[in-house]
Amino acid sequence: MNDWFGRLSQLPQQWFESPIAAIALTLGAYFIGTRLFKLMRRPNWCPPMLIAAIMIAVVIALLPVGVEDYNRGARWLMMLLGPATVALAVPLYQQLPQIRALWKPILMTLPLSATLAACYAVIIAAVMGAPEEVLASLAPKSVTSPIALSLAEELGGSRALLMGAVLTTGVTAIFGVEWLSRVLKIRDPRLIGLALGINGHALGTVRAFEINSVAGAFASLGMSLTGAFTAVALPLVWHLFY
Amino acid sequence: MSVLRGFLWLLVFLLLGQTLVRLFHIPMPSGVIGMLMLTLWFGYRGGMNADIVRISQPLIAMLALLIMPGVVEIFFVADQFADQWAAIVTALIAGTLLSVLSSLLLMRRYLPASDDTGTARETISHE
Repeated sequence: MNDWFGRLSQLPQQWFESPIAAIALTLGAYFIGTRLFKLMRRPNWCPPMLIAAIMIAVVIALLPVGVEDYNRGARWLMMLLGPATVALAVPLYQQLPQIRALWKPILMTLPLSATLAACYAVIIAAVMGAPEEVLASLAPKSVTSPIALSLAEELGGSRALLMGAVLTTGVTAIFGVEWLSRVLKIRDPRLIGLALGINGHALGTVRAFEINSVAGAFASLGMSLTGAFTAVALPLVWHLFY
Repeated sequence: MSVLRGFLWLLVFLLLGQTLVRLFHIPMPSGVIGMLMLTLWFGYRGGMNADIVRISQPLIAMLALLIMPGVVEIFFVADQFADQWAAIVTALIAGTLLSVLSSLLLMRRYLPASDDTGTARETISHE
């Protein structure tokens, strides 16, 4: 009997020796998170991803395995981020006619908006005395995650902190765009979409597609262009200072 | 099978991006270079490869799922940034609200109003 309990207690460790348990846990948490999100009537302060991430964290904390064991397995899933970034070429290409028609106003406003999105956070954190590692993890916060992750690596930031920052930014941006566009009486779906895509990356874009397809198209345009622009500009500017 | 063929195309462009990044010391993620190369390729061909479109839809829909493992770690390294939380949270929330406000104002100023909203077009002036 004791023998049997011994084998049972070793089981979680053995599960996480191969990536399968980590991948299954991630997928399971994702579907439960999405289900709970619908049951909670889609609260915009708490995306399904956050519910799922908390669930995974609780499971790991309860099982006798460390977050490193989970990360080792989940890395296989995150490897798909590379091809997923390349796949963003499809919405980008689909919106090329829109970009061509509006290239002038977009060229004037988007780089400035994307720069401000990074600058505000870095300046506030720097004024409040955050060290360089924290600043490097906050700077790419408005960029879609595959790009943000490689940027944080490039700048020397913390991956975990960046992902938290990306999530918080997405949630705040969705709330902010809905609130401020009401205050400013902005109803143009193109404008709301662009603001969601520039500031709220993939999370904002998903929200924009819920408003309507025009907002969604402009949000993916804003997301792709902010990602491409920040990916080029941020490392160059960063290395001037650090 | 066409999904796998599309996936192979994405991998080829990812590898192409990686090659260019290494060869020319481009300070950008290889995925982004691959994305730009693929967009250029679509433009050159004058259309999109149906296999790539078929694989890209599920992959983009999976983006949120793919970044979730990264979010999990923050709960375990939180105490590493214990004395920074005030700065981090203020920077994220105030910074994001400020940037949303400025991008909404900028866009409203410079984006020509669409016809269906019926508002008068603002004249664009350089400042």
